[in-house]
Amino acid sequence: MAPSQPAHVNLSPAELSFLRSSLSQTPPIRLDNTKGPRDFRSMIAEYDVLPSTNGSARIALEDGTEALVGVKAEVEKSQWRPNVEGRHTLSVAVGVDVDMADDDGQEGEENKGKGQNGWIEISVEIPGFREDDALPVFLASMLTESLLASGELKDRLYINQRFHWKLGIDVLLLSPPLSYPLALLSMTTHLALLTAHLPALKSEKDEDPLFDDDWDAAVPLYPKHDAQGGTNVDKPPIIVLAIAVGSNIIFDPCKEELAVADAVLAVGCAPSNASSTGARIVSIRTIDPPAHLTPPAVPNSMNSATGGVAPASTADALTQRELLSATGVWTPPRGGMKRSLISQVTSMVVGKGGVAEEVIAALQAIEVG
Amino acid sequence: MAALSDRRRINAPSGGTSAPVFSKALKEPGYLEELRPQRIRAPKELRKIFLQTSIIPSASGSAYLEIPNAPSSHPATLIPPTSSLKIAASVQGPKPLPRSAPFSPTLLLSTTVKFAPFATRHRRGYIRDAAERDLGVHLETALRGVIIGERWPKSGVEIVVTVLEGDEGAWWGQEGGSNGSGWGLLNVLAGCITAAGSAIIDAGIDCVDMVSGGVAAFVQDPSADGRLLVLDPSPAEHRDIIAACAVGYLHSRDEVTEVWLRGDAGLEAADSLIEGAAQAAEGSFSVMKEVFIENLEKNGNAQGLEGAGGKRKHADVEMAG
Repeated sequence: MAPSQPAHVNLSPAELSFLRSSLSQTPPIRLDNTKGPRDFRSMIAEYDVLPSTNGSARIALEDGTEALVGVKAEVEKSQWRPNVEGRHTLSVAVGVDVDMADDDGQEGEENKGKGQNGWIEISVEIPGFREDDALPVFLASMLTESLLASGELKDRLYINQRFHWKLGIDVLLLSPPLSYPLALLSMTTHLALLTAHLPALKSEKDEDPLFDDDWDAAVPLYPKHDAQGGTNVDKPPIIVLAIAVGSNIIFDPCKEELAVADAVLAVGCAPSNASSTGARIVSIRTIDPPAHLTPPAVPNSMNSATGGVAPASTADALTQRELLSATGVWTPPRGGMKRSLISQVTSMVVGKGGVAEEVIAALQAIEVG
Repeated sequence: MAALSDRRRINAPSGGTSAPVFSKALKEPGYLEELRPQRIRAPKELRKIFLQTSIIPSASGSAYLEIPNAPSSHPATLIPPTSSLKIAASVQGPKPLPRSAPFSPTLLLSTTVKFAPFATRHRRGYIRDAAERDLGVHLETALRGVIIGERWPKSGVEIVVTVLEGDEGAWWGQEGGSNGSGWGLLNVLAGCITAAGSAIIDAGIDCVDMVSGGVAAFVQDPSADGRLLVLDPSPAEHRDIIAACAVGYLHSRDEVTEVWLRGDAGLEAADSLIEGAAQAAEGSFSVMKEVFIENLEKNGNAQGLEGAGGKRKHADVEMAG
């Protein structure tokens, strides 16, 4: 029965009310008043920090939260699947001429649809939480399902009928979770996957896999260019956290801002393949706003210490409380999100020139620069 | 040495066995697909829902939800057709927190979703796995927005949802379908929301609205060569689900407390998915409403009104049939 978020801030109802009213102004005044509603906190990012992984990254935010991600790949034996093999034997039996030249050109096509979800495993470790606690489990499943949504990554892990790569992504939060760490973890994972390399395969077809021991020859897990040399390639997804306060939408909230949010939405998005739009949505989840757990304020009119009259009965207190909603006395938010608000958030995230595009471009620049 | 000491029994082969594969399935690539159950409902038509409340006398509120499966269209095959959904939810409390617990200004909600070991094709253990915990978090999010928690300081309520039979993520005959992409979990979540929402109302806990769950999905549609929005998808009936979404929907406020969308959705697609899922939730809401009106009529209006005040006396429940 412990509260799901021990990192829950201790703010008095008066402070909560003050924060909420400043965030619901137009334009909103954020806790860090130099930032607009779409601005992210500044961060320090580096990659290739762990020498014994296939790809790794570390990102530290200005408030002291820091995450480390290591991506490791292992060769594993695949389970025999009759239908995959069946298709192959069939084409030989019927005598269909397998065009070798065509095969080489379309390596991606050959692997298509052969990947399995189980080949990618994400574990999230957060100090102060057991690994089966709700928060790490929730974070891991959100990261996993955004990663699996496109299906292209798992297909690239296919080696041949008998072997595949097993990708282990270990996400470690080095600091206590000061603010909701989902966005930070996903950005770190994005950077680690973007820079991950797999050893180049030397063997062919269904031979036992043999790899090039030259690390310089390794192939990136997310290729920089597609077969035609274009740049429309698959990139790992990122997750953007947005809160709604009144009619304002604020991205990348810090923990105090999160504490007064009416609704919290996590939007997972990947860069779109077509260049017309900014990004595409791969997952959306609502997160329970911590404001639901905050104590309601006692207005002066109901407090005998400040000259008010304490309500005589419980029913009386309830009625008086219900009439308070518009007076600015802090009451925990109720209900959910309007659908129009959700679509407003998603269009701000993935629309052209949206938040997702900016974040992805910024992370890409880290690798290039 | 194990083999020596265990000669009295007929042991399984040491190398392990694999399930039989019928040659017809290998020779004719399209054969298995023919056996797949077809969706005969209209795209916007839901499956039938059975809902009953107050089934567990010892709990302060409870509900049972069932979505029966479609009859098999191919009697020739051993592969079971679509799966069904059976969910029991019970509410314990609100009751005071133990003395050792820290002060809480609001009602502490703890949700537990557990699949029965026999609920799906693959046996689930007795310890909750990651998917079940994840569902628990989703359910908590869906309910937290509905309950007016500030009216119960220093108390807690436990919501225990047992999934007796869960929707499968994919059709059994589909290759690699068993470790599936978990589309069935969305149906389970929607069912859990409807069942737990009914159980909360049955327990007489103050709520801002009734919450019901619904699912919508975009599926690959060969006839319309594009994608088709279907409400309440049964994952066995669709080979390729592109994206799906489950919501917890508040009918009279027209709000969603919970959105779980996954899959490769575009911008407009995400909007129409949430829209569709809300429509499906309207369907389960109408069932909930009917059930509660029926209950009120059965128990007499006076007692029903007293129940709404939170001071309901439990009448003896007659267990019929």
